[in-house]
Amino acid sequence: MTGFDQLVRGFAIALSWKGLLYCFIGCLWGTIVGVLPGLGPLAGMTLLLPLTFGLDPTIGIIMLTGIFYGAMYGGSTTSILVRIPGEAASVVTCIDGYEMARQGRAGPALMISAVGSFIGGTVSVLGLMFIAPPLAKVMIAIGPSVEVVLMLLALFVISVVSAGSRIKTATMVVLGLLLGTIGLDNLTGAPRFTFGSPELSGGLSFAALAIGLFGLSEILINLEKTETIKAIQPKLRDLIPRWNDMRDSAPAVARGSVIGFIFGIIPGVSHVVSTFVSYAVEKRLSKHPEQFGKGAIAGVAGPETANNAVTGTAMIPLLALGIPSIPATALLLSALTIHGVQPGPLLLTDRPEVFWGLVASMYIGNIILLALNLPLVGIFVNLLRIPYPWLVTAILVVSIIGVYSVNSSSIDIWITVISGGVGYVLRKFGYEMAPLLLALVLGDRLEANFRLALTMSGGSYATFLDTASIVVLGSVLALLLLVQALAWAFGYRKSFADDAERA
Amino acid sequence: MADQATDHAQQSAPRERRAFPWLIGARRGGLLTAAALALIGIVFGWQAALLDLGHVGLPGPGFFPLALSLVLVVFSAAIALEGWLSSAKESAKDEPLEFGHPQVLIAFAALLAVPILFEPLGGLIALGLMTAVLLVFLARVPPLLAIVWSALGMAASWYLFGELLGVRLPIGPF
Repeated sequence: MTGFDQLVRGFAIALSWKGLLYCFIGCLWGTIVGVLPGLGPLAGMTLLLPLTFGLDPTIGIIMLTGIFYGAMYGGSTTSILVRIPGEAASVVTCIDGYEMARQGRAGPALMISAVGSFIGGTVSVLGLMFIAPPLAKVMIAIGPSVEVVLMLLALFVISVVSAGSRIKTATMVVLGLLLGTIGLDNLTGAPRFTFGSPELSGGLSFAALAIGLFGLSEILINLEKTETIKAIQPKLRDLIPRWNDMRDSAPAVARGSVIGFIFGIIPGVSHVVSTFVSYAVEKRLSKHPEQFGKGAIAGVAGPETANNAVTGTAMIPLLALGIPSIPATALLLSALTIHGVQPGPLLLTDRPEVFWGLVASMYIGNIILLALNLPLVGIFVNLLRIPYPWLVTAILVVSIIGVYSVNSSSIDIWITVISGGVGYVLRKFGYEMAPLLLALVLGDRLEANFRLALTMSGGSYATFLDTASIVVLGSVLALLLLVQALAWAFGYRKSFADDAERA
Repeated sequence: MADQATDHAQQSAPRERRAFPWLIGARRGGLLTAAALALIGIVFGWQAALLDLGHVGLPGPGFFPLALSLVLVVFSAAIALEGWLSSAKESAKDEPLEFGHPQVLIAFAALLAVPILFEPLGGLIALGLMTAVLLVFLARVPPLLAIVWSALGMAASWYLFGELLGVRLPIGPF
């Protein structure tokens, strides 16, 4: 069966009534969690994870992925209208988006943001469709030693591209790997750090840790703030941008698509970093850089396109290599595993319907989001009128039930609460949680492949430096150097700090 | 008289110390965090050393966690050293960080009660109690109304999760 036939088959799944319904639910819920501060795509996906248990794996993953890219759309709405980023990747949009809204131009900002998101999302799905299959074929041919090198590189890159302190990020990576060793040893079955608890023999629940470290800690931090939310209400008839807006946005959308596409493959906080890089690029290339920060539409179009362009390419390492690059795809990996589907190079041959169904649904989901977000923007903004303590209460109830439902274990609630407290403290001191979660997901396979490779080579560490490893190493390092050079050329680190301060 | 009282209040204001939130210097807190991370490394390392380590060519189940524990301790020491060196600079400011806002403490205490009560009282009752506490103390809803809202919320949760999604929560003594 050719790739085209597979895609047609994927569309048949995605366009079935179930495919469309769950894609719509995912996109709608994703937009809602993107709009609401304190609930990002990760928490949104975890909350609806139990809903997928009774579904076909392809339909379940279509819904969860819909939440992921839906949240990227939703995050921009609050950035523009309230100056509160609903999602980390929308922080940069606050700068010029909110300024535009203050000047009575919220409509064009929302419209350009939605259209840019649609274009960026579609470009990245094209990339996923064309890059993942050949990459998976290459991966099938390589052994555990190359997989170890690849995973180590991914963790190294997370530490290097991080916006915060590198040593702190590296520490979070090590802590994540260490927490990943809790449970039965994969090769010998020996219990490690379980302290006799059968609940811990399967390891720490990823969903419980993710909700605690990301969702709960975010809620606790937000509870410290007492500001009231004042949203600017746009009118539907004001959504149409002027000719000048479209002319200024078009190149920014094109560049944002490319930047998001490249950064999507980089592990770590690529969706956040890509927006800052895109903003810095637009500012640097603009004929009127002084307008940035005062309502420049390119400052909205570029970053919003970039953060959506990341969504498709972030799926490439997950689906082709089985290596998640951002926390949201790490949760997708967990969800697929719960459904008995192993992401990685064999996914395309063993379960092609999952891959192609997902690709097709992402095209459809982007259209659904475009149709959903613009006319209903007023309704989504009204969600922000719900007083925060009421919202927090509802989120906590749903989160706890969601966490419990994964393993039916009260230990998971303990893990969520404690990791929420720990995450709150660590985030206050400038530690990032994303590297910890990614390392936690990769740790198990990293160790298993490391020991397997050594066993196969009779204990020789030279196995990690064979030809294939060196090719992988060289390619990834070249990509990393390219990204670093780009970031340096456009003053990313400086602009990251300046822009984050202003946002 | 009123002026005197105001003056007195203004004079005593700097001496007044609020219980919450606590203020911790970023550097001092950073050192404490690094120490806590190092302690985690030491505990994991100690437990890992009790497992079969194998040997360098053929690692056992304890090898990987032991190596990671050592790296964690080294990295934590590096963070502490970085913090200590930056505090030595005269130009550096030690920005205080606020911890333990009353709202945060209330929310965290209510959350801690949930896993304790989840099995003995039942999932919905434990969550209902948490909801009522959060509504009373965070949303400032009168207690009776909070109980009504919490009961309605739990009924909705039972229908959504129990009936529609098939999630089985502990039922406690009932």
